[in-house]
Amino acid sequence: MATAKIEYAIVLFDSTQAAIKAERVLARAGFAVKLIPTPRQLSSDCGTALRCAWTDSEAVLAALQAGHVKYNSVHKVVAEQ
Amino acid sequence: MKTVDARGKACPEPVILTRKALTEANKLLVIVDNDTSQMNVRRMAEKSGYRVETEQKADGIYVQITPGASSATAEKSGNGHTIVVLVAGDTLGRGEAELGNVLIRGFLHTLNEVEPLPSTIILINSGVKLAGEGSPVLDDLRALGDKGVEILACGTCLNYYGLKDKLAVGQVSDMYSITEVLLRSDRVISV
Repeated sequence: MATAKIEYAIVLFDSTQAAIKAERVLARAGFAVKLIPTPRQLSSDCGTALRCAWTDSEAVLAALQAGHVKYNSVHKVVAEQ
Repeated sequence: MKTVDARGKACPEPVILTRKALTEANKLLVIVDNDTSQMNVRRMAEKSGYRVETEQKADGIYVQITPGASSATAEKSGNGHTIVVLVAGDTLGRGEAELGNVLIRGFLHTLNEVEPLPSTIILINSGVKLAGEGSPVLDDLRALGDKGVEILACGTCLNYYGLKDKLAVGQVSDMYSITEVLLRSDRVISV
């Protein structure tokens, strides 16, 4: 299988509840997002983070704001697929 | 060659009939009428060290079983031990189901990122929902499958939850195969 690099945005939250709410809000808005354990290189807080395509990140953050979901920070990560 | 006609028999009978026949003969022709039976018979025979060839004919699927090296995929993980992960539900741990579901999804995602890989993941009871159409962890399970991890979904459970035709990753399995995989493994990690 050929390896391709994919750019993701990882959104961190201050609570697991906020991450779950974010997933619900974004799924309803039709975004392809995924809850994942927070990658170790971003934080050691054992949290749950939300992953989406980097190209969607602006729209995702706007949707979170519209849905009154507070997030902590956004990080760009490059994964090999 | 001895022939076992298992057409019209419901799971797990084709496997039981085949196993019984293999105690009497080491060359068999098993005829089944559906793909799930074919795969279950194949898996049982290959795990027992037989060579299996199948042919789709007008009146059924003909499964030829002969002695020889198994063509089954690598059963051992890197360290030479088989590790089976038994996923017994669509939540991880006891507590709020919403949180438990986030945790089991995180667990399956992380299995892709750490070593060693399990040889088999067994999905049982509501665990089968994780492999059903629309599950948020399909890509994780598919990636594990691509790395050679066998994913077995309990057929009774798929049936119960109305997912029999909606399994998107892995194979439908029966209690015989599942129990054998558990008993033969070096380590079972039950979550």
